Amino acid sequence: MNAVECRDLTKAYGSLKAVSGLSFIIEENKITGLIGRNGAGKSTLLKVIAGFLQKTAGEVKVFAENPFNNLTASANTVFIDDDMPFPQSLCLDDLLHTAAGFYGNWDMGLAKGMLDYFSLDSKQYYHRLSKGMKSIFNVALGLSARCPLTIFDEPTAGMDAGARKDFYRALLKDYLQHPRTVLLSSHLLNEIEDILEDILLMGEGQKMLHAPVSHFREYALGLGGKSRLLEDLAQNREVIHKYHVTEDHAYLVIKNDLTEQERHQARLAGVDLAAVTAADLCVYLTAGKKGGIDDVFSKSTLV
Amino acid sequence: MKLDADTMKPIYVQIAEWLETEILAGSIGGDEKIYSQYQLAEMFNINPATAAKGLSILAEEGILYKKRGLGMFVSPGAREGIQRKRRDNTLKQLIFELVLEAQRLSIPENELTEMIRQVKNGLKGEMKS
Repeated sequence: MNAVECRDLTKAYGSLKAVSGLSFIIEENKITGLIGRNGAGKSTLLKVIAGFLQKTAGEVKVFAENPFNNLTASANTVFIDDDMPFPQSLCLDDLLHTAAGFYGNWDMGLAKGMLDYFSLDSKQYYHRLSKGMKSIFNVALGLSARCPLTIFDEPTAGMDAGARKDFYRALLKDYLQHPRTVLLSSHLLNEIEDILEDILLMGEGQKMLHAPVSHFREYALGLGGKSRLLEDLAQNREVIHKYHVTEDHAYLVIKNDLTEQERHQARLAGVDLAAVTAADLCVYLTAGKKGGIDDVFSKSTLV
Repeated sequence: MKLDADTMKPIYVQIAEWLETEILAGSIGGDEKIYSQYQLAEMFNINPATAAKGLSILAEEGILYKKRGLGMFVSPGAREGIQRKRRDNTLKQLIFELVLEAQRLSIPENELTEMIRQVKNGLKGEMKS
């Protein structure tokens, strides 16, 4: 069964289309990473899926129903971001008990265990917590809800590297024991790619690429060496990224369709072949059309 | 084992190679049950689908076989199969790298073989002590 289905989905704020004609299917019980630059439309998409925002056009289905104003969808979905609207008068313990009353699969043991591990005092008030501690509480709540559709929108904001690592591990472990559909958006693909099954890459409100993580890792090939050599290799090939190291030396990223023989030849000719990480590929594929950051600075010669 | 994020090798290939090395080392014998995709996912902190892909490569190559409802098992001839495969692929590739680097440094063949011999003797000494 499909957990999420979008067809030509559009969400506009006034004349600005945050999500524009998006179509994709997310199968049940997969962990999918939603990746994209700032302003790509990730949060808007996730909020439409969570039923918080009304779509402008197209179709969105969560467990075969339109999620907006839908009690079934909201009982089966938990949405976590860094702007949780918790009432100020409730302490963490109250918040957990309220959540327990709302979510059918709630696991209080897990929630308390996580709070305990991260030294969060359950009598504390949410709005008094630091940014990182708020995020830790949010993800503890998101995991403990055990919702069939669990959405984390940039859940690690303000969390230190150790806490982030712990969260990813907790997410994976809980997922192994209780498989469910997880949507996880993040800027830090390097940190999360190992626990993902698929990546949905967005750029300017549209789908750039939706594929298994392994596909992203094998999609491109980095070539370093003499520009002249690289140009020969790049002929009739899709060039994803180009960078001039010096006058006659360049680094080129092309679609990885070289045969074993061609790779061998290239290496013998003195071309360095390198893997392109999924994170780098995502940056290249969603790069703007305004050139690079280097173009912002006037051409200068460093001595 | 630590997974290497920067290599050209996808994670599932690294998982398959790790399992091969375990079989070569005799940690898991013929007709014994191999780790499940969920155990591997937990051990290496990876998505279970990635682990499953590593297992299915080895199943396709006949190194593992499936028992319905019981999981994956190591084929009786797995060790020989892995040895043959590693020699034909991995070792040949490593030798290619070796020869290529030697050429860049203009090291003659006899010097190269002498270096190999020295490393081998060094290893022997270390293993004895």
